Amino acid sequence: MSKKRQITFSLVRGALAILIALLVAMLLIFISAGGDTFGAKLAATGEALKQLLVGPLFRVNTNGVSFEGKRLADILAAMIPTTFTGLAVCIMFSANQFNLGAEGGIMLGAFVSGIVAIYVPMPPVIHAVAAVLIGGIAVGLVMLIPALLKVKLDVSEMVCSLMLNYIIMYFIKYLMNAYYADKSKGQIQTYPFLNSSRIAPLGSSPIFNSAKLTVGFVIALIAVVVCGLFMYRSRWGYQIRMIGINQDFAKYSGMKVGFIIVISQLIGGFLSGAGGGIEMLGRYPTFSWSALPGYGWTGITIAILAGNNPLFVPLAAFFMAYLQKGCDMMATYANVPMQLIDIVQGVIFLFFAAEQFLSKYRQKLVVKTAQEEIAAKAALAQEGGNANG
Amino acid sequence: MGNLLNNMITPEFFFSIFRISAPILYATLAAIVVEKAGFSNIGLEGLMMFSALFGSLASYYSGSWFIGFLAALVVGVAMSLLMGFFAFQLKTDIILVGIAINMMGSGGTLFLCKVITGITEGKAMASTTGLITSGLCIPNINIPIIGSIPFIGRVISGHSLLTYLAFVLCFLTSLMLYRTSLGLNIRAVGENHNAAASVGVSVLKIKYIAIGFSGLMSGFGGAFMSMSYAQGWSLDMVAGRGFIALAAQAMGGGECFGGMLSSLLFGFAQALGIKFSAVGLDSNLASPIPYAITIISLAIFGIIRKQKAKKPRTES
Amino acid sequence: MAEEYVVQMKKIEKVYSNGVAANQGVDFNLKKGEIHALMGENGAGKSTLMKMLFGMEQPTSGEIVINGESVVLSSPSVAISKGIGMVHQHFMLVPSLSVAENMVLGMAPRKGLFVDRAKCVEITKEYSEKFNLHVEPEMRVADIPVGMKQKVEILKALVRGAKILILDEPTAVLTAQETQELFKELISLKDQGYTIVFISHKLNEIKEITNRITIMRNGRSMWVYETEKVTKEEISRLMVGRDVVLNVQKDEAKPADTVLKVRDLEYVNEWNKKMLDHVSFDVRKGEILGIAGVEGNGQKELIDMLFSMDTPDSGSAEVQGKSIIGINQQKIREMGVSLVPEDRMLYGIAGKATIEENVISDRSGSKKLNNGPLFNMKAIHELSEQLVKDYTVLCKSPKQQVGMLSGGNIQKVVVAREFSNDPVLILADQPTRGIDVGATEFIRKKLVELSRSGIAVLLVSADLAEVMELSDSLIVMHDGKIVAYFEDTKKLTDEEMGEYMLGLKEQSPEEIGRVCHE
Repeated sequence: MSKKRQITFSLVRGALAILIALLVAMLLIFISAGGDTFGAKLAATGEALKQLLVGPLFRVNTNGVSFEGKRLADILAAMIPTTFTGLAVCIMFSANQFNLGAEGGIMLGAFVSGIVAIYVPMPPVIHAVAAVLIGGIAVGLVMLIPALLKVKLDVSEMVCSLMLNYIIMYFIKYLMNAYYADKSKGQIQTYPFLNSSRIAPLGSSPIFNSAKLTVGFVIALIAVVVCGLFMYRSRWGYQIRMIGINQDFAKYSGMKVGFIIVISQLIGGFLSGAGGGIEMLGRYPTFSWSALPGYGWTGITIAILAGNNPLFVPLAAFFMAYLQKGCDMMATYANVPMQLIDIVQGVIFLFFAAEQFLSKYRQKLVVKTAQEEIAAKAALAQEGGNANG
Repeated sequence: MGNLLNNMITPEFFFSIFRISAPILYATLAAIVVEKAGFSNIGLEGLMMFSALFGSLASYYSGSWFIGFLAALVVGVAMSLLMGFFAFQLKTDIILVGIAINMMGSGGTLFLCKVITGITEGKAMASTTGLITSGLCIPNINIPIIGSIPFIGRVISGHSLLTYLAFVLCFLTSLMLYRTSLGLNIRAVGENHNAAASVGVSVLKIKYIAIGFSGLMSGFGGAFMSMSYAQGWSLDMVAGRGFIALAAQAMGGGECFGGMLSSLLFGFAQALGIKFSAVGLDSNLASPIPYAITIISLAIFGIIRKQKAKKPRTES
Repeated sequence: MAEEYVVQMKKIEKVYSNGVAANQGVDFNLKKGEIHALMGENGAGKSTLMKMLFGMEQPTSGEIVINGESVVLSSPSVAISKGIGMVHQHFMLVPSLSVAENMVLGMAPRKGLFVDRAKCVEITKEYSEKFNLHVEPEMRVADIPVGMKQKVEILKALVRGAKILILDEPTAVLTAQETQELFKELISLKDQGYTIVFISHKLNEIKEITNRITIMRNGRSMWVYETEKVTKEEISRLMVGRDVVLNVQKDEAKPADTVLKVRDLEYVNEWNKKMLDHVSFDVRKGEILGIAGVEGNGQKELIDMLFSMDTPDSGSAEVQGKSIIGINQQKIREMGVSLVPEDRMLYGIAGKATIEENVISDRSGSKKLNNGPLFNMKAIHELSEQLVKDYTVLCKSPKQQVGMLSGGNIQKVVVAREFSNDPVLILADQPTRGIDVGATEFIRKKLVELSRSGIAVLLVSADLAEVMELSDSLIVMHDGKIVAYFEDTKKLTDEEMGEYMLGLKEQSPEEIGRVCHE
C-alpha cells in the first residue's frame, strides 16, 4: 500500500475511533444529564458536549464563545507529565515489553526529586537539574527489577511492574509519615522545596498566563525530539524496535537481546522518574501526593495513540490533555462527573489497538493498490519495457 | 515479637486469612482457566471493579443481596465477553484489552457510581458505602456443630457464603478442567489448537467460554469485595488483587489446588500485615507486604523453573 | 474398473494464493486394502495432495471420488466423516491430556456432567487390542515415547471410523525397533481391509511393506508401479533426478586454506533420536561444499550447531582456528560467518520493518554506520540504496516494508545483508526455496561469484539440481551421517546420488574421510 493511502487509512481509522468514543460519551452524558423530560435531558446533553468539545479552549456563554489563553496554557501544562510517561511507555512497549511501571515511576521520581530539592542545597538551576536527574536515575534503577527478572528468570515484567507500583506508593507514604512530613501542617506534606530547585514558569505573557506552564514544557518537547532521535536514529533505539518486531530475528542478527531489553526499561524508568521530578518541582511547593497520580496509565494510552512513535507523543498528549480539560469543564459547568475521561479513554484505546478494526476497508485499499501496480506494469510491458522481476 | 505472636495465634487471625484469600482465589481461578485456554486476561482487576460496583448498586436498589450478587455475575460475564470480542474478533492484543478494561474499571466505575446514585463528592470520594447496610450484604453462615469446636470452630465457621463458595468453586473448577469434556476442550485449545480444531472442536467458541468463565469468577470476586469484604463499593477497592491473582496462577503451576495455596499465601501475607499494624507498625509498611511477596515468589518460582529446564536433555 | 478403487483423485490442480502451482493434473488412486507408497522429492507435491484428501486444502480444480461417490472435502471433519484419517508428521496431540482423553477429544463419552473416564479407557483398550496397537490409555501423552504417540494418532483416526489412513513420513521420527513394530501393525491393518497411504523416502521400507507406488515429480504424478515389479534402484532413479539442467557458469574452484573445520559432531534430539552422528568435514576458501540429502537427515541440526542456535553433545567446530561452539550469534558474526536461514520469515527478516532497517541488522553498531551516538543516516541510505541496486530488489524504495515484498525479493534482502558483510564463511540453508526463477538464478550466481572471490560457502539444499551444480564438491547426509563425499560433482550422476541419498549405498570411511583436508 502506498504511503499516502496508509496515512489516509490511519487518519480515517483514528477519526472513527474517536467518533465512537464520543458517541459512547454522549450516551453516558445523556444518562447522567439533569432534566425530567427527554427534551430537557437532550438540551443538557448538548450543553455538556459543548463544554467537552469547545470548553477546553473557549469560554462558552450566552454571548457566544471567546478564546481563553489560560485554558490553553493549562492544557499545555497538563501535557508535561503525560508526555514523559508517554515517551517512557513508547520505549518500553517498542521492545514488546509490557512494563506498566511508569505509574509508580512518576510518583517515585517526583518524591526523590522533591527530597533532593528540600535537603540538598545547591545553586539555582543546577539544583533543579540535579534533582530531576537523580529522580530519573532512581526510577531507572528500580526498573532494573522487572527488567532483570524478565531477562534472567522469565518473570512477567507486567505483573512485577504492577506490584512495584503499589510498593512504591506505600513506601513513599511510609517515608512521608515517618520522616519527611512537616508535622506542623494538617495535611501530610513535606517542607517546602528550596527556591533554587524550582522550575520556573515559561513566561507571563497575557495569553499564556499560567503558573502551571513551566520550562518543563520545553524540556518535555526536547525529550520528545531526543527520544525520536534515539528510537529512529540510534543503534540502541533501532535494536529496541527490531526486538519488538521479531525477537528471533534480532538474536540471529547478533543483537544482545537481553541487554537491550534491560536498557529499554532503564530508559523508560528514567523518563518517567524525570517527568515526575519536573512536574513536582514546577507545579507544587511541597510534595504531598498520597496516591498514584494516574499519569502512567494516561501514558499508556498516549503511547498506543502515538503508535509507539515518540514524535507523535506530543500530539497524543495534547489530545488527552484536551479531553481531560473538557471533562473538567463538563464537571464544573454541566455537572457531569469528570471521570468520564476514563471511559472515553478506554474506548479510544480499544479501537486504536484493534488490528482488525476497519480491516475490510484496509483490504480494499490494498487491493486497489495492487490493481494499480498490475495496470502500471502492463502499461510498461506494452511500451516494450522490461517488466519482469 | 511475643506480642505479635500472641496476636497471631488467635482464631481471628486464621479466620481473616480465609476471608482475605477468597477474592484472590476467585481471580486466580479466572486466571487459571484462561491460561489453560492459552491466553492471559490481565483485565481481572477491572472486571472485579465493575462487578463490585454493580453488585452493590443492584443490591441497594432491589433491596436484595441475592439480586445484587446476580447482577455482579452478569456484569462480570458481559464485560468479559466484550473483551473477548475485541481480542478474538477485532484482533486487539489481549494484553491491551486488559489494560483498557482496567483503566475503565478505575475512574470509569467512579463515574458510573456518581451518575447512577447521584452522590456528589464531599470531602471523601464518592462511594456506595453509605448505601449498603449489613442486611444488603452477602450473609455469613454459622456452621452448626463445627462452629462449636473450640478454636477451629471460630476459624472455620461464620464466614461469608462467598468465602465458602470460593473454596468449593476451586474444587469444582478443577473438576471442570479435568473431568468434563468442556475442560478437555479448553486444555486442548490452550496446548495445541490445531489438534483441537482437527477433531472438530471450535477454538473460538472455547476461547469465549474461557474468557466468559473468567468474567464469572471476577463477578464472584467483585460481589465479595463490595458486599462482604467491605460494605459497599469504593474507588480502587480491588487494590491489585486481580494482578496478584496472575502471580498466584503462575506460582500455583497453573493448577487450581496450587492456585489456592498461593492465594492463601497472599491472604496470610496480608493478614500478617494487618497484625503488624495492630502491634504498632506503620500500616504503610505492612500494606505492601503481599505485593512484595508476589515479586519475591515469582522470582523464586523463576529460579526453580530455570533449574528444572537445565536438567540434561536426555538421560540415556 | 472404477469400483476397484476406494479413492480416486482425478486431474487435481492446486495453485496456492502466492501463485505456486503445487499440483498440476495429478491422478492418484487407492485400491481397497493396499499399502500405497507416495514418493517424491521434497516439494514434489505429495503433502499438498494429501492435505486435499484430508480436507485441509481444497483443490483449484479436479475431482475426488471416494467409494464411487464424488465428494467435496471442505474440512478435516468432512474428510473424517468420509472415512479418511491422517497421521501428521507433527503430531496433533495434546501433551497434558492422557492417551485416552486424546483419543476421544471432541467426542468424549459422558456420565452425567463428567467425562466417563472408564469408558474412554475402555474404548482405547478396545481399539488398542482390536488393531494390536499397544498404548497406555492412562498415561499422559507428554510422558510416552514417540512411537506410542504415533500409535495414538493412528488409533485416533480409527476410532473416528477411518478406513483410509494417510501416514506422512511416519518413520522419520522413529527408531529402528519402533519402525519394525509399526510395520507389523500396518500390515495387520491392511489384512483387516484398511487402506493405507504411506509417504516415505526410505526405499527399504517401501519395498518391505507397500503394494503399489506412486512417484511424483514436480507437481505431477509420473509413475505408478506394483512394488514388487520395480527395483529399489529404479525407484531411486525415477524419484531423484534433475528436471532441468541449470548450466551454471563457473570457473574451476581453487580451494585454499580451511575456513570451517568440523570434527565428530554428535547430537541427540529431545526424542532420543541421533540427528548428528560423527559428522566431520572441512570447507575451504574459494569452494562451495554442498550438503545433499533428503530433508530431516541432520542438515537442519548441523546448521543450528554451526550458528550456535543449539549446542552439540560432543565434537568441535572451528572457524579459522577459533571454536564456534556455545558462543552467541554476535561473536559468530564477528568471526565472519553469515547465515542465509532456512526459515526466512522467522529468522531472516523483521517483516514490519523497512528494507533499510533489515539490511543493517547485523551491523547496526558498526563504525561506518554511526556518527558518535547517532546513526550516520547518509551512510545507511547509501548502503541500502546500493544493496537494493546490487541485488535487484524490486521495491519502490528502501523505506518500503519488507513484509510487503514477494518471497523472492524478501530473500534477496536477506541475501544482500548476509553476503555484503565481508564474510569469510557463508552458510546457505535452502537459499532459493519457494522463490521465483529470477531471484533463484540471481542468488545462485551470487553464491558462485562470492566463492570465487575467496569466500568459503557451505550450501545445504534439498533441490538436487542446485546442490549438484553449484557445489564444487559434495557430501551426502543420511540418517545423521555423512555417507558419501564427492570431490568433483561434475562426474556425478543422478542415479548415484539417489542411491546414497536414499541410503542404498555408503562409501567407506576412508573415502568419506577425504573431506577433511589435513
